[in-house]
Amino acid sequence: MKLKAKLTAVAALAVVAATSATVASAENTLDVVKARGFLRCQVGSPSPGFYNLDADGNWYGLDVSMCQAVAAAIFGDKTKLQIQSVSTQARFTALANGESDMLSRTATWTETRDTQLGLDFVTPNFYDGQGFTVRKDSGITSALQLKGAKVCVTTGTTTELNLADFSRVNNLNISAVTFEDYNVRDNTFLNGGCDAVTTDKSALAGNLSSWPVPEDYIILPETISKEPLAPAVRQGDNQWEDIVRWSVFALINAEELGITQANVDDMRANSQDPRVRRMLGVEGNLNEGLGLSKDWAYNIIKAVGNYGEIYERYIGDGPQAIHIPRKGSLNALWTDGGLMYSPPFR
Amino acid sequence: MAIVKAERTPDRRPPVSEATVLGWLRKNLFSSVSNTLLTFVMLYIIYLTVGGAFKWGVLDATFIADNRRECYDNSLTGACWAGVIHWLNNIFYGRYPRTEIWRINLGGVLLALWMAPLWISRVKGKFLVGVSVVVFYPFLAGYLFSGGEKGLFMQIMVASALVAFAVNMANMLAGLFSRQGLGTFALRVLGQDKATGKTQRNVLLVLIAIAFGAAFFWQMSWTIQSVVWTKWGGLFLTLVISGIGIALSLPGGILLALGRRSKLPIVRVLSTGFIEIFRSVPLITVLFMATTMFPLFMPEGFVLNKLVQVIIAVVLFNACYMAETVRAGLQAIPKEQFEGAHTIGLGYWGTMGLIIMPQALKHMIPNIVGSFIGLLKDTTLVSIIGLFDLLGMLRSISKDVPWMGLHKEPLIFGAILFFIMCSSMSKYSRHLEVKLSAGRKR
Repeated sequence: MKLKAKLTAVAALAVVAATSATVASAENTLDVVKARGFLRCQVGSPSPGFYNLDADGNWYGLDVSMCQAVAAAIFGDKTKLQIQSVSTQARFTALANGESDMLSRTATWTETRDTQLGLDFVTPNFYDGQGFTVRKDSGITSALQLKGAKVCVTTGTTTELNLADFSRVNNLNISAVTFEDYNVRDNTFLNGGCDAVTTDKSALAGNLSSWPVPEDYIILPETISKEPLAPAVRQGDNQWEDIVRWSVFALINAEELGITQANVDDMRANSQDPRVRRMLGVEGNLNEGLGLSKDWAYNIIKAVGNYGEIYERYIGDGPQAIHIPRKGSLNALWTDGGLMYSPPFR
Repeated sequence: MAIVKAERTPDRRPPVSEATVLGWLRKNLFSSVSNTLLTFVMLYIIYLTVGGAFKWGVLDATFIADNRRECYDNSLTGACWAGVIHWLNNIFYGRYPRTEIWRINLGGVLLALWMAPLWISRVKGKFLVGVSVVVFYPFLAGYLFSGGEKGLFMQIMVASALVAFAVNMANMLAGLFSRQGLGTFALRVLGQDKATGKTQRNVLLVLIAIAFGAAFFWQMSWTIQSVVWTKWGGLFLTLVISGIGIALSLPGGILLALGRRSKLPIVRVLSTGFIEIFRSVPLITVLFMATTMFPLFMPEGFVLNKLVQVIIAVVLFNACYMAETVRAGLQAIPKEQFEGAHTIGLGYWGTMGLIIMPQALKHMIPNIVGSFIGLLKDTTLVSIIGLFDLLGMLRSISKDVPWMGLHKEPLIFGAILFFIMCSSMSKYSRHLEVKLSAGRKR
């Protein structure tokens, strides 16, 4: 009897200990990350413009910069970061089981994912959409002219489903030619195996620039799907979600206020604009709710620049960029007619 | 009347078909009209394929360029090897810090030196050499590759590994120059070769203790920068995974095979179940299971190194295949061998270790090496779960912006690397077969 009671007590204690440990670690990602000393940020297998390796083995790209921004916000040092490359199949599991602190990979924000997978998307950092590339000499200038066409597409993604939807809605009778690997898909298209190739427009532009004669091909104007790409975090830790969300907003807001990597020191020292002073931590206490130091936003801009700079470096026009013009696209600032809009920092 | 010819018949010239190139050609390639036709058709096909490959890969190829556009500007139809050349460090060493690459190279050189005595016939004590490689080298290499602070256990193992390596090298030199084992040689130098066995043993133990002390004090001041496993990659990672897989799957397989043939029901059932479960599941499933499902069963926040998970999965998977190979070898040994061993009073392990296994393993060499080659190639699957092994790195080249879309050249380069590794393994296995069955060629 006594032994049994003892055993029950021990078991109960173990359960309590286990659950409280779980709750504690689930609630305080920030503390866990700080104690560990670096941020674990998940990307996918390399994807041009967003996350890829250079010849020296360093990660670079738009989404990698998001990881660096969050690391800079927490530690004031963008190198306190471990980039994890996780396969598409395992991406949400790896976030759920605590292997990754955040997910910054070209994942589309959809209702199902947001509501059913135990994760929260913070805010889009890139608006993509599916499009078509065709040969210029085919005379096709609109996706609606693709009646009965053979279209090359990678399998197993929403891309394939979007194509089927588009074909059905417009009664186009498109036949899809599917591939596992996008290099093979593009090769088939280049060798005349299909009339058009479809994928997200950012990838279309990037791939096109790598073809032997890019001038022979055009990207059709239609966008047949909405792909808001957003970083995501585990559900249930609101402070952590806020940190990641406002790190992205800081990048966008900095661009709007004209704060760049080059002038951020000067702005902090000399700017009289209260919006700038508040954001860079000269006055006010914006940092308190986040649990970060006063200069968190300053650290972000100092480390990676503002959103516009990051975009130009990896997507727009730099030597490492995939050459997608920003002007007039959804990714321009709201002041330029785009969708990039940050709530006020106050 | 003699019909014996008195003088020697003059030597005749060998038939034309055997002696000259022209004769050989005529006999083998142009012996009839249809053969001649076939020869020309085949020559044309060879010209088309080899010629095309040569033109693409060498004549029209670009070797020096800063990005793919420059390759195109040079030639639209040739290969662009410049991308592969730019990425060589990534391909061989992964994301390992460029200033620390010497550690990987040193690890490779140490292994080669350590194993060298196994191929030199004059060196004594080959069995101990083999054991010391398996027992001590992993610790030394593990510290070389990952660095950082050493715990007490690691300090002891590193020091022991250093001693083992030094002893091994000295033994090799002793063997090369005086055809003796190191122990005999050292005793003779110290003038103790006539002493009693006990004194001799004590002298040797003291020598080893001194060496260990020296090594231990030296390694206390030896620290190298820590390199986290996520930076490991390329050919290096492939070799680490397959090397550990090969080293552990053979003993694991032997144990499982013995377990499956055991007379103890529990051991037998467990071994059989284990083997059958792993053999009926594809490797990729085991890998996914190990990396994504396993952490879910662990307490939250507990993250086991993914590389370790992968290596465990690879070892278990291959041990099961190895077990069946070994079992096949065991079954080929006639019953009289067991009975003979029992007759001279050997127990279970004596029978297995001294009589059965040496015979069985010899028969199994082609199959074992076949499994090893399969293992080496299977490790490329880890690129699917996000490790940048050789294949993962080769595929990443096509995603690096300056080299975007460059995928044929890296894969061909990888194919060449794999061909070299696999064919040298199978070549060595054939050499082993010949050497071990010298007594009875079949």
